[in-house]
Amino acid sequence: MTSTLLIEGLRVEVAGKEVLKGFDLSMKSGEVHVIMGPNGSGKSTLAHALSGHPGYKVLGGSVTLDGEELLELSPTERARHGLILALQQPMEVPGVRPIDLLVAAGANPTNLRQRMSDEAQRVELRTDVLDRFVNVDLSGGERKRAELVQLGILRPKFAVLDEIDSGLDVDALGAVARRLFAATTEWDCGVLVITHFRRLLQELTPTMIHVVSEGRVVATGGPDLSEVLERDGYEPFRITNS
Amino acid sequence: MKIFADSALSFISERPDTHVRERAWSSFSSLGLPTPTDEVWRYAPLSDLDVDQFSVSSSPKIAADSPFAAQLVETSGYVVRIVDGFLTSSDDSLPGVKVSSVHDSSSLSGTSDLEHYESDSFALLNVALAPATTVVEIAEGTTVDRPIVILYSANGSSSFSRTHIRLGRSSSATIVEYFEGGHDALVVPLSEYEVADNASLQLVTYQRLDTTAWHVARTTGLLRRDARLRQSVLGMGAHYDRSRNDAEFLDVGGENELRTTFLGTGNQVHDFRTHQFHKAARTRSTLLSKGAVADESRSVYTGLIEIEKGAKRTDARQTNHNLLLSAHAHADSVPNLDIRENDVMCAHASSVGPLDELQRWYLESRGVTPKDAERLMIQGFFYEMLATLPGELADLVESDVTSALAKLQVVAS
Repeated sequence: MTSTLLIEGLRVEVAGKEVLKGFDLSMKSGEVHVIMGPNGSGKSTLAHALSGHPGYKVLGGSVTLDGEELLELSPTERARHGLILALQQPMEVPGVRPIDLLVAAGANPTNLRQRMSDEAQRVELRTDVLDRFVNVDLSGGERKRAELVQLGILRPKFAVLDEIDSGLDVDALGAVARRLFAATTEWDCGVLVITHFRRLLQELTPTMIHVVSEGRVVATGGPDLSEVLERDGYEPFRITNS
Repeated sequence: MKIFADSALSFISERPDTHVRERAWSSFSSLGLPTPTDEVWRYAPLSDLDVDQFSVSSSPKIAADSPFAAQLVETSGYVVRIVDGFLTSSDDSLPGVKVSSVHDSSSLSGTSDLEHYESDSFALLNVALAPATTVVEIAEGTTVDRPIVILYSANGSSSFSRTHIRLGRSSSATIVEYFEGGHDALVVPLSEYEVADNASLQLVTYQRLDTTAWHVARTTGLLRRDARLRQSVLGMGAHYDRSRNDAEFLDVGGENELRTTFLGTGNQVHDFRTHQFHKAARTRSTLLSKGAVADESRSVYTGLIEIEKGAKRTDARQTNHNLLLSAHAHADSVPNLDIRENDVMCAHASSVGPLDELQRWYLESRGVTPKDAERLMIQGFFYEMLATLPGELADLVESDVTSALAKLQVVAS
């Protein structure tokens, strides 16, 4: 069954400042959508607001998954409905092991450790990292790959990845991109990627690219759009603050 | 105090070292039990304490191992049993490890027990009433490749164990101390750990006494040159759980990592005290204390870092986090510094409050329920303490902690 994630007119405030000012996006499962834009345009705010981060206040708009309003749900319920975020800087949770987190998150415990190892290998993450506490003493790149392991186990309908590519070397980036692309067919995962870099898109072919400026989408197009961005930068897309 | 005193005096008259015991008893008698007006005892529910509900027995009350103790025994393979303070069994199968029961009233710090513990009523009681000192010696240069488990069973109405663990130069060992029993009992362990030059001791103390017990424990780590002591103390049981854990750096280059944690339920009181005493240069102490209080329980953490003049380039850090799980629970945190040297690094931080909001959100954003997130994080306090244990043993203690936590009704705030 095809699922739809629909974001309409989303307005979000961070630390008293409105950062998202009417954000719209629609995507279906199995698709890869990419959000690009300059620093401060609201990309990460979108990711955090979607999964109910306590520091982000929704002022208006709606986010529905197959018609159900996610903004009225708790972070737990959003994840259980099928929307999971992989963070740019996932936090350390001392004393909690990845496997215990995943079981509590609803993963099937049968052969779980083995499946985690398999997922780790696909993103070239050392498997001994899986036995450490969640993100504790991991490098930036290891944390991001550990997020991918979680996604691979939890198999959300939609995965939102916030700058998953920063801090990864070229080889790791390729592995992460291939893993995500495979997810779109393995369980028809909808992948929403926030990135600065075209590099990721070489092996993760986007269905659509959305350029964000000043808290809203200012241009949407196919994969070609990334070439335009590469050539001309974000400046032509910049809108003045209204 | 007649019932208790009569049994104590009768016990003292029968034991070797009667003379020292009598002096300790007399010091205890003139000092008396602490009262709530004593600053260092202000958090103890002393009005509930009636020593006449306890008596001193002249022999250990032997009982079968609890299921958990039996598992510990099976996993470790090397076990020392101490029942009501009496060394009841040990084995000689580990090369370089010697366990004995001795009548010796000298503190490893170099003075007599009487002097060393002169102002501590409960320690004096131990000096008077511990049947003997159990000495665990690791010979110079020995690396003990299996963890040593010391099972302390408190089966009688009172239990005074005295333990000296001595690591010879360049030796290394992992020791797990497990306390159980203590129903309606007074349990007063007094332990000293001496870590010689370049030796390394990993120590985990897991206290799982009955919630009717009065547990008043004191440990002292003595670190020689370049010695390492990594100590974790986990307090789950007892009605009143007092755990004082000190470390003294007697020579340069030592390293002490102390982690303490507790979980308070019902009307328990956990009273944790630490004293890191840096007497020598280039010594390092790291202290992490984390605890959680639920229901109507209370906790207090009192920590002192003391740095003597001349202990240059000392690095001392102290962190204390307390978690409130109910509106009726209460936690206090009292960090203290006494620094008499300028050339040092010293930091302390403490907090009392609910769980870290962002960590919790992170878990919830994966689909973990608020209740499970809370359970995972509290359980994590304990798991963190077990990092020094070999995997199998850590798994065992973890599962015991987990089952204890599962009984706890935590309401996510």
